[in-house]
Amino acid sequence: FSPATLTYDTLRFEYEDFPETKEPVWILGRTYSAVTEKEAILLDVTSRLWFTYRRNFPAIGGTGPTSDTGWGCMLRCGQMIFAQALVCRHLGRDWRWVKGEMQTDEYFSVLNAFSDKKDSYYSIHQIAQMGVGEGKSIGQWYGPNTVAQVLKKLAAFDTWSALAVHIAMDNTVVMEEIRRLCKASVSWAGAAAFPGAGPDLVYNGYPDGAEVTDRSLWKPLVLLIPLRLGLTDINEAYIETLKHCFMMPQSLGVIGGKPNSAHYFIGYVGEELVYLDPHTTQPAVDASDSGCIPDESFHCQHPPCRMSIAELDPSIAVGFFCNTEEDFNDWCQQVRKLSLLRGALPMFELVEHQPSHFSSPDVLNLTPDSSDADRLERFFDSEDEDFEILSL
Amino acid sequence: MQTLHSSQSARPFKLRKSFATRLEEVAGIRAKFPTKVPVIVERYQKEKYLPLLDKTKFLVPQELTMTQFITIIRSRMALNATQAFYLLVNNKSLASMTLTLAEVYRDYKDEDGFVYMTYASQEMFGCFVPPPQGNVMECLLRT
Repeated sequence: FSPATLTYDTLRFEYEDFPETKEPVWILGRTYSAVTEKEAILLDVTSRLWFTYRRNFPAIGGTGPTSDTGWGCMLRCGQMIFAQALVCRHLGRDWRWVKGEMQTDEYFSVLNAFSDKKDSYYSIHQIAQMGVGEGKSIGQWYGPNTVAQVLKKLAAFDTWSALAVHIAMDNTVVMEEIRRLCKASVSWAGAAAFPGAGPDLVYNGYPDGAEVTDRSLWKPLVLLIPLRLGLTDINEAYIETLKHCFMMPQSLGVIGGKPNSAHYFIGYVGEELVYLDPHTTQPAVDASDSGCIPDESFHCQHPPCRMSIAELDPSIAVGFFCNTEEDFNDWCQQVRKLSLLRGALPMFELVEHQPSHFSSPDVLNLTPDSSDADRLERFFDSEDEDFEILSL
Repeated sequence: MQTLHSSQSARPFKLRKSFATRLEEVAGIRAKFPTKVPVIVERYQKEKYLPLLDKTKFLVPQELTMTQFITIIRSRMALNATQAFYLLVNNKSLASMTLTLAEVYRDYKDEDGFVYMTYASQEMFGCFVPPPQGNVMECLLRT
């Protein structure tokens, strides 16, 4: 039959249930048996916030698109991985969504942060417009790193969540940088902006401007690691390591996709990845006067899609959430163990300090500044045949 | 600077020169610079966002780390710190950033004596076909 005749109903038939396999099912750091815990798996998956293409939302920038169909899939995946961070931050990993049940205000606040209007913290409007600063005009396609960079900028305005967002570039995670980010920020942003706000009560008792030295203070960390695990295909030496990322309790999953279509990967079973797919266009949903949003369309209520790991496009971003410093230390511990795993190639490297780049990366900036240019000459000082000879 | 005849937009280095020529080149340059490692750095053929480098062949001090090497290449392209840039060794692997070029050379060098690196950013994701109205799942349309 032609694609045009496909309807939602015929498609429902296509969602295969989980295979009755003895292999464990891993969903965002939790393990389930596909044989005995099928319902628990589906409840966990359904509880994730599912962001899809929408139509008829207020025009982006007032006159721009009113639908993100065809271009917004990576932006939606960015929303999903970030929403998972907010769920962990405000509701906890064990929180579950049950259809028809009353939900808390915190839940609606999380959902609202992503709703399709210009003033939500992480709306498609905000992401598309903030992307202009990353060289992406509205409606252009994003990669995993693009959306990660944009979300990091937007998170600075979300004083309610007061997250520390770190994007580890060059496949290297520098522990010192993260500790500095999570500890330093506590005194200026979290405490000052929202004194006494919900879970931030821990800051109470510190007078404004007081030097905060308590080691227990830690701004919840969202760590995103954009990677490229091959050129056209994923290098299979990374597959074992990738699976282990879903096994860590800090896992926020992975954003990436198949060529051209972005997916939010939340786990794996056997040699298959489990994902939420943004490629369904749903009508935009408005909040009611009471601030409650009809929320059923934000939860994927059919068994989640699966695909072979080998089909994964090599461009991804892996995400983790560390609510406390202990969570982060534990994460570091697990990553170190991972590097000892036989037959698994590390996808990224964990180092204590910034690897030395000739003291500061600024030294190498190609600026017209003559002193820098002179220093740069030392690295490109001579030519022999057509080799570029670098010298120290 | 522009004395170089070989543009990277041409065929990959390996296809431009015979094995014998490459072997000879390495032998010559290694004799002259025994503490430097011959590296070929090329842009991924499908790369759309990163600029071309004006050089393909690099002779790199063996004690340089991958971090330092990548910093040099990044600054040559005037990339900012938030732009995705990956240097894949043998078209496959992200070399550990703490490795020195001597270690990378030991582990990954080609039989011609060069070590080959390809740089790429990340793919972008989106759909070519405007989808039909309604709740049609595009993922299925593509399969």
